Amino acid sequence: MKPEPFEIRIDAAEKLEGTAEYIRDMKVPGMWYGKTIRSIHANAEIVNIQFDPHYDWSKLTYVTAEEVPYNVVAMLETDMPFLAEKKVNYYGEPILLLAAENSELLKEAEEHIQIEYRKLPALFDMKKSAESEIKIFKENNTFKEIKIQKGDLNKAAADADFIIEMEAETGYQEHLYLEPQGIIAIPKDEKIEIHGSMQCPYYIKNALNKMFNEKIHVTVIQSVTGGAFGGKEDYPSLLAGHAALLANKCKHPVAMFYDREEDVQFTTKRHPSYHKDKAFVTKEGKILGLDLNVILDGGAYCTLSQVVLARAALTAAGCYFIPNITINAKAVATNTPPNGAFRGFGGPQAIFALEMLIEKIANELKMNPADVRKINLIKEGETTATSQILKYSVSAHETVDDVIQRSDYQNKHKKYAEHNKRILEKILNDEYPKENSDQKLKGIGVSAFQHGAGFTGTGENVIKGKIRVEINNEGKPVIFSAQTEMGQGEQTAFQIILAKSLNINVDDVIMSEVNTDLVPNSGPTVASRSTMIVGSLLVDAGKEIINQLTDLLNSENPGWKYEEGSFINNGSEISFIDASKKLAGLKIEKQYEHPPIIKFDDINWIGDAYPVFSWAASVAEVEVDPVTFEIKVTKYYTTHDIGKAINKDQAEAQIQGGSLQGIGYAIYEKVKIENEHYDIKGFADYIIPTPTEMPVFDVKIMENPYPYGPFGAKGLGELPLVGGAPAVLSALWMIFGKEFNKIPVMPEDLLVLFNSNQKVG
Amino acid sequence: MKITFKLNGENVSIEVESYKRLIDMLREDFELTGTKEGCSIGECGACTVLMDGKAVNSCLVLAAQIDGAEILTIEGVNQGNNLSDLQRNFLTHGAVQCGFCTPGMILSSLALLNENPNPTVEEIEESIAGNLCRCTGYKQIIEAVKATAEMSNQKLRNQSA
Repeated sequence: MKPEPFEIRIDAAEKLEGTAEYIRDMKVPGMWYGKTIRSIHANAEIVNIQFDPHYDWSKLTYVTAEEVPYNVVAMLETDMPFLAEKKVNYYGEPILLLAAENSELLKEAEEHIQIEYRKLPALFDMKKSAESEIKIFKENNTFKEIKIQKGDLNKAAADADFIIEMEAETGYQEHLYLEPQGIIAIPKDEKIEIHGSMQCPYYIKNALNKMFNEKIHVTVIQSVTGGAFGGKEDYPSLLAGHAALLANKCKHPVAMFYDREEDVQFTTKRHPSYHKDKAFVTKEGKILGLDLNVILDGGAYCTLSQVVLARAALTAAGCYFIPNITINAKAVATNTPPNGAFRGFGGPQAIFALEMLIEKIANELKMNPADVRKINLIKEGETTATSQILKYSVSAHETVDDVIQRSDYQNKHKKYAEHNKRILEKILNDEYPKENSDQKLKGIGVSAFQHGAGFTGTGENVIKGKIRVEINNEGKPVIFSAQTEMGQGEQTAFQIILAKSLNINVDDVIMSEVNTDLVPNSGPTVASRSTMIVGSLLVDAGKEIINQLTDLLNSENPGWKYEEGSFINNGSEISFIDASKKLAGLKIEKQYEHPPIIKFDDINWIGDAYPVFSWAASVAEVEVDPVTFEIKVTKYYTTHDIGKAINKDQAEAQIQGGSLQGIGYAIYEKVKIENEHYDIKGFADYIIPTPTEMPVFDVKIMENPYPYGPFGAKGLGELPLVGGAPAVLSALWMIFGKEFNKIPVMPEDLLVLFNSNQKVG
Repeated sequence: MKITFKLNGENVSIEVESYKRLIDMLREDFELTGTKEGCSIGECGACTVLMDGKAVNSCLVLAAQIDGAEILTIEGVNQGNNLSDLQRNFLTHGAVQCGFCTPGMILSSLALLNENPNPTVEEIEESIAGNLCRCTGYKQIIEAVKATAEMSNQKLRNQSA
């Protein structure tokens, strides 16, 4: 069945015709271009900045740190400046800004600036950060520490038959959205207008209000945004600040457009992580206790690290019921660009480490990895690490059972082990098999994972997201919300939710431009919250519109009822649109608050960490070439419980795209620090999966409704990425029977591992 | 220097600097901003246009090189005021998310279908292997191209019947 027109995305046609206006397509008369002058050291004092006195600076504008009214990018902490003043903390940190009519002038002017540094030793090892003598953030370089405690590990230790320990590591991940970062700032009288590619217009507005000491009115307008995945959550605040400083000074519109190299070198990445974990296990494979220790590498400034850490800590025990748990998590500083939001937000790191620990338990107990998972999966009525009692919408068992059965995991697990035995024997005897697909090593792996939807803990009650629905002169409802479309399909989902709630055509629902002068602050477009949290406000608004219309009609002539998109009274019928014209100009505002049953203590980390969880399980089939050690995921099965798919077709697309990013995280995407900076420049040296690397996807959506979500919907956007890497690595464990505890895994890592295998053999 | 070429079906002439890239000429001089720039070094495929029916990265071609050629950009793909079959199939198969790779995907797929009206899935994958997408996981894109090939073959069969 092909999708009904009902489900077609509203933004697709203009994107297909090439008429959608992304930030670089905007025509702005008199626009200048901005450039960032950056540090060439990871840790240094700025001794002197010299502008060549013989150069004609009249054709350019430059901005120094001293000129920034309030030189702090407003986020969780106040450590990050828009421009470094006396000290730089990472290679590429912005020091000066230039603007001119064209890029040739900018290039020329750059040659006439000299920055003198006193270089200092730099810190890159997160494990040594807290004790390091190099101080980046406060006394101990620690952005935040979280301790979660449930039960008693001593009891687990006393009752356990085995203690299984493991260290794990995850690497950087670059978002590599197809459209690089871009912002235009337009000065207008007492106001500055920001246009750009972004996720969170109100983050930018807040940061710029503070930067200008509230002296200039700031309007933020989202352009069509070419992908974000978290990469345009926090970074655009800095970039918009730069554009606004230049525009405010030169009185021209100023564009800050990063090219690909500048984007991958200096914008945020996923936090690398280090884990040191211990499981207390019975001989049957039941996990009695977990002692989990997580470190996240936050980079040089805090940005969002505190909340990324919170999600990592709150996700660390996975989808399992564990009676005794201790979690120690901290985010620390190093001399790299700040790491920021990336789809999953600490979850992928936490789940990876835990799932590899489960693999190790299976390996040491000689049990089937799926069985170890099944023994420990959480059920309704059981408690999480924060002692949150799961009261509804729990599908850990259902998703795992479904994906195991659909993929024929158990049979293939046996069959592939047999198949591999012959090939591995040949290699050990120095008889490499011929290049032939039958002779590839075959693995099958499984992962179980979950994602808490919406902000962590009390976050939603702090933000208090607000939307407005207005009825226009044609009687059509117009949605005003700050939620941004960045490719995920949010606008269409919102149209569908309100249309369904009013029982009218999707085409009759209109979306307002995302402009901070027009839309209320419904909170940022992050944390898989838009559909579930903000969508629930749309349902409420829809109900209120119907109630008001019914009351209005009844006040004229009693007896009206709303049925199937029409008001009906004794044989008379008025369509919604005709009736709602009477209410043209009506404005309905709705503000979010968690259902009162949801309670969280964010000092002791006890209670309902998330209002609900989305659950999923994946099975990856993997082939490894026994000669080149090239790894390919050939088939990827996944079952996702998302409560309700608002737009099924696009929900599947999210699951595929997210899963592929998870696979990339496992075996393709690698960033290292070399000479104090990232060793990547773009698509040539940072490899993301192409169509030829794409596995055959087999996606199933389960709908176990969340009682407080719109039509039962829970969060979706981030979940698929979380389970990709552990499923792929589970398959590598199966093939090689060796410990895999680190991503990404590259062919050269397999070669090293295999050589060590040979020695053992 | 002055060049003359066919742009989306119309003959045009323009004075261009010898170092100007095709993508810049299209976006700046002809205001055809549907062609996107994702990497500037021919790696991502977002800037793909057709030159004499073949897909090229317009960031790697100099404007001067297209003198006498026929160029098709995304703005020329529509059939009159309507979406072409390929565009419509992208729409109905849910093959568009952030949209930044979409114009390049459409043009690479068109180049394939012009040359090979019956592509296999592998051939489709190969033809768009130079067009990166970070959103979709490619599946819907491949299905949309496949469906377009089937539609045009069906039309041909109907005509000959």
